[in-house]
Amino acid sequence: MSTGGNEERKNPPPETKHSLWLRRAVIASFWAVVAFLGLPVWWKTTAIYRADLPLQDMTAWANGQVCKPIFPIHIAVQAPLLPHDAHHLIHATQQTLNDLSDFPAHQLRLVFAEPPQPANASQQVVADGSGTAELDDTVALAVRLIPVETGATPRSQLQPFLATLDIYYSPSQIPSESSTNSPLATYIAQELHQLYAQERVRLSGLYSNAASQSESLSPELAVQLQRDSARAFKYAPTYHLTFSLFTPTSTPSAWDIEAALRQYMNPILESFSGISNFTIDTQVQLYANFSPSIRQPEYDNDAKAWTIFKEDVGGFINAAEWPLSPSIGRGPTINFALYVPDEAQSPLFVQGSRDNSWLVPQWGGLMILNPQSYQATLTKEALVPAMQVFSTQLSSLLGLPQTPASLPLRISTLIRIHATSLLFSASSTLGALAQVYQKMPTIPVPDPVAKSVDLSLAHLHRACELLRDGRFQDALENARTADGEAEKAFFERSMVGQVYFPDEHKVAVYLPLLGPVAVPLVMAALKEIKSGIAAVKGR
Amino acid sequence: MKLSAALAPLLLAPLAAAEHTSNWAVLVGTSRFWFNYRHLANVLSLYRTVKRLGIPDSQIILMLPDDMACNPRNAFPGTVYNNADRALDLYGDNIEVDYRGYEVTVENFIRLMTDRVSEDMPRSKRLMTDERSNILVYMTGHGGNEFLKFQDAEEISAYDLADAFGQMWEKKRYHEMLFMIDTCQANTMYSKFYSPNILATGSSDIDQSSYSHHADNDVGVAVIDRYTYYNLEFLETNVRDPTSKVTMGELFDSYNPADMHSDPGIRYDLFAGGDAGARSRLVMDFFGNVQNVEIDAGSGKDETQWREELEAIDKMILEAKRRHNETLNLRPQAQHIMEEAVAMEPQQSTKKPGAVKVDTESGWSKQIVGAAALLGFAGVWAAGSWLESL
Repeated sequence: MSTGGNEERKNPPPETKHSLWLRRAVIASFWAVVAFLGLPVWWKTTAIYRADLPLQDMTAWANGQVCKPIFPIHIAVQAPLLPHDAHHLIHATQQTLNDLSDFPAHQLRLVFAEPPQPANASQQVVADGSGTAELDDTVALAVRLIPVETGATPRSQLQPFLATLDIYYSPSQIPSESSTNSPLATYIAQELHQLYAQERVRLSGLYSNAASQSESLSPELAVQLQRDSARAFKYAPTYHLTFSLFTPTSTPSAWDIEAALRQYMNPILESFSGISNFTIDTQVQLYANFSPSIRQPEYDNDAKAWTIFKEDVGGFINAAEWPLSPSIGRGPTINFALYVPDEAQSPLFVQGSRDNSWLVPQWGGLMILNPQSYQATLTKEALVPAMQVFSTQLSSLLGLPQTPASLPLRISTLIRIHATSLLFSASSTLGALAQVYQKMPTIPVPDPVAKSVDLSLAHLHRACELLRDGRFQDALENARTADGEAEKAFFERSMVGQVYFPDEHKVAVYLPLLGPVAVPLVMAALKEIKSGIAAVKGR
Repeated sequence: MKLSAALAPLLLAPLAAAEHTSNWAVLVGTSRFWFNYRHLANVLSLYRTVKRLGIPDSQIILMLPDDMACNPRNAFPGTVYNNADRALDLYGDNIEVDYRGYEVTVENFIRLMTDRVSEDMPRSKRLMTDERSNILVYMTGHGGNEFLKFQDAEEISAYDLADAFGQMWEKKRYHEMLFMIDTCQANTMYSKFYSPNILATGSSDIDQSSYSHHADNDVGVAVIDRYTYYNLEFLETNVRDPTSKVTMGELFDSYNPADMHSDPGIRYDLFAGGDAGARSRLVMDFFGNVQNVEIDAGSGKDETQWREELEAIDKMILEAKRRHNETLNLRPQAQHIMEEAVAMEPQQSTKKPGAVKVDTESGWSKQIVGAAALLGFAGVWAAGSWLESL
């Protein structure tokens, strides 16, 4: 610096105003780009989009504050009586029913229906179903009062394939205007109460999900309900049924399964068609061996049969090698396996009995078929026992209640149970989504989720109203849609907050990128501000 | 009082039995390359064990990032061994790998656990659990403090894992979970869990490595890790068949830090019933499958009655259909159109979702440290350029 020596250091010529302002404008424009372009772009590109969700509604549904489902069951009473008498009887019965009720959400409501043939009311009505044809479809059960002269009265008979309860009474038992309680009214009320006993228990079980109702239950019933619920599949709109034939040898190598299914399985499946859809496939597996973990069958001399050990029944299905999980279709698979033992080891039974079929909860059923004769093809007739076993197993795997004896009643019970459980399950899914939304602020929530949530809430409301109106089939459909939408919202594919970044990582990412750019910018700005202040002071 | 005391076991027994109705296993290896042979052998050993104890392939999700059996450096092609005696070929002829090679990623793992998968994902690659399922999650690979590397390319942090399990709990996707991890500093991986009913165990404490057990000189690399080896040894010798009543407590008691050369950790606090509750669980509750079968005692109804019933059902259905058709003719068919509109929707929104970068605003102190570090660097830079300008 001082090599020249003699003169003082030369200053550069003073800046012109113009260049000063030009420089300031340049710096300001750089900063403007940073502030008005860079920052918004950074903000925009790193922000996580979270659609607005009606969190309060969702939580309220999950906590059961919005909808307390009630189950008004309309029961039509057909009585060959004068309207006045009939109304009196219905009134008395309804009163008794209300007194009996131990689960207020489950309400049996009696309505009077005009008897189909009032002219010849004294005749016994023929049980051909024509009597219920004109009833409105919210009616769950028809009670027919039939006067008889003989036999013990009152007595009742439930039609096994009609939603009809016949009550036989002697005309003298009609309550008179003055009497407040009549044995006939009490009898009808008790019959009806009994008819819906199991349904009440299961619905109230869904309600509380706890053992609070167990005091009103007999222990056997509690155990049975517990078993039933552990056995049945969760509700699905579609189930896939797989029928498999396994044999350790090469015979039989074919079976007439299609015809057998059509004849023996279709009726059952049809009767469930209001609840779920079914898809079916079948397969034949030859040379299917036992899994190595179970003992080979032994010959029991007393029973003159081959037996497998009871403890080995659970491991009988060789899950490792038998192709039992076809992953076909969308719904869960219900497996039915038919095992035809080696001719040399036939007949084969479970040890200590002649039982040859069993049910695996939430999986399916298995039957060992000991055919009369070993032929290449199992005929439809040979498959009859298997079809019978499988159809029974199917009913219990689908959660069909054991009582009452009438199939339509049991199916409508199942509809109510599924509608309720779907309602609760959709609510709980929405609650879970609300929780996840609140607890994990880093998870992106796209618009389709909000849309699905709205749809789900709308259908939930609708389902709840329909339940209140007693339109259970429609309620089930709405609850199903609600549940489907809620699941779709929760399992939205893009809602994966994938990687947690420690702050060190962020520094490591941003510093090399922004450091070289930021330093000259900051330094220039500082210098300019300093000189600006100095200029102001020096003035 | 007496009566209820007498009834208690009656009521409790079915409740206890009905606690879980299915078992699932998620077995994850996270390393590639030949020298990580042992990690794949670890996973395959566990796979073999749970299969032996009855979990079907459809309920096992196996993630293998590399194929050691077909590696060109494998002196025994087509096989994987976990012991130098080479008595047992783990590869066998019946293994079902659900996620292989480059499919084994953090994203896919988290998607699997939370079931956020695309619609065309086959069912065999999904974890279809519900609130009645017990899940065994076993992971092995190279890890560190609060992370586990996936394929040398990315890592899953303890926070991600905890959040994934948290979401599973919210959605009722498990009843109880056993989390096992064999990696360096494994115990840090479960330290962030917060969801109930998880029993977690790991091979080594923070700042500890997890060591391999022994090498096979012909294979040329280590064939199994110590933690996994001793777990397997216990399972092979004490849990011989699916009826075993061995408890988790007994398994944990068998852990010997001197053998493992590290301190295996166990976390009880999330589990219902804590320490005692977790220790009294059966090993089979996690490693085996539920075996409740119900034998149909004397097949109920006789055949002719059943046939009559079928016919009656047929009639009933015909009748119902007839009535349905009658009402259908009366009712306007608006509902149908709605259905179609709903069905159309998913096609429109087939936007391909990708991984999303995530930011966590946890803890101001960390942020301040980060900011300070940034400022420090900036300061040094500024000082440098200032000095230069002199």
